Amino acid sequence: MAVELSPKMQGFTEEVFPAIIGTSRKDGSVEVVPVWFEQKDGAFWINGGKNRGWFKHLQRDPRITLLLIDPKQMFRWAQVEGRMVNWAEDPGGDHINHLSHRYLKTDYQGPRTGRIKIQIEPVRVTGSIDGRG
Amino acid sequence: MAGGKTGSALSPALQKLAALPILATVATKRADASVQLNPVWFELKGGFIWLNSNTSRAWPKNLQRDPEVTMLLVDPKVPDRYAQIHGRLVSLIPDPQHEFIDHLAERYTGRKFRDLEPDEHRVTLKIQPVKVTGALI
Repeated sequence: MAVELSPKMQGFTEEVFPAIIGTSRKDGSVEVVPVWFEQKDGAFWINGGKNRGWFKHLQRDPRITLLLIDPKQMFRWAQVEGRMVNWAEDPGGDHINHLSHRYLKTDYQGPRTGRIKIQIEPVRVTGSIDGRG
Repeated sequence: MAGGKTGSALSPALQKLAALPILATVATKRADASVQLNPVWFELKGGFIWLNSNTSRAWPKNLQRDPEVTMLLVDPKVPDRYAQIHGRLVSLIPDPQHEFIDHLAERYTGRKFRDLEPDEHRVTLKIQPVKVTGALI
């Protein structure tokens, strides 16, 4: 069941830093990589090429964990356990361009084709932002 | 895992990044196979990665059940440069005099670690790097 983000968490997710995501490979090992994200209406959205390992992993096991850390104040962090609830093509790269503006304030310079966007529903939040875990 | 470098020889670029007082992310598996992520202090020394924790925390317990671990180091200046280190817990060393956590605290804060809580027990985790992938290998 999805959880609602507290006002403090909503504020934290509006800050600009990459999320670190963890997904499970078929052999049970964990892949951990930094990605751009945005939070919108209580859900997290990430974007990537269709051939990314984490997208393949999520199609097999939709569980995904996000770690958000303020790079300037390392004690401000949150761990979001979530689940991929939806994904869609990003034709023309509109969504990656939107994320590029959030992070770099400029148009996306990389490839805009063959991309997908993924919607993640938070299931549990721990860490210092909500004073839990 | 396709690609990447195998073995404990870490590249000069990675060693340089690991020498900075940056946080690492440690990924462990919970009993239900979901992924747990935590920010941790670390030190790379003698070809091993050294961590320290309170024994009541979940992630060291996860590692005792399943010794496979993945760590992520990100260049704070260039987030596209990162190293994903797949490793294995090789030993768990009690730190009753909190010497190693004091040492790590000095590396990160310039001061010794705070006073321990009454029931707090520290433990040092020795991780053998097995494989490195990412844009900084």
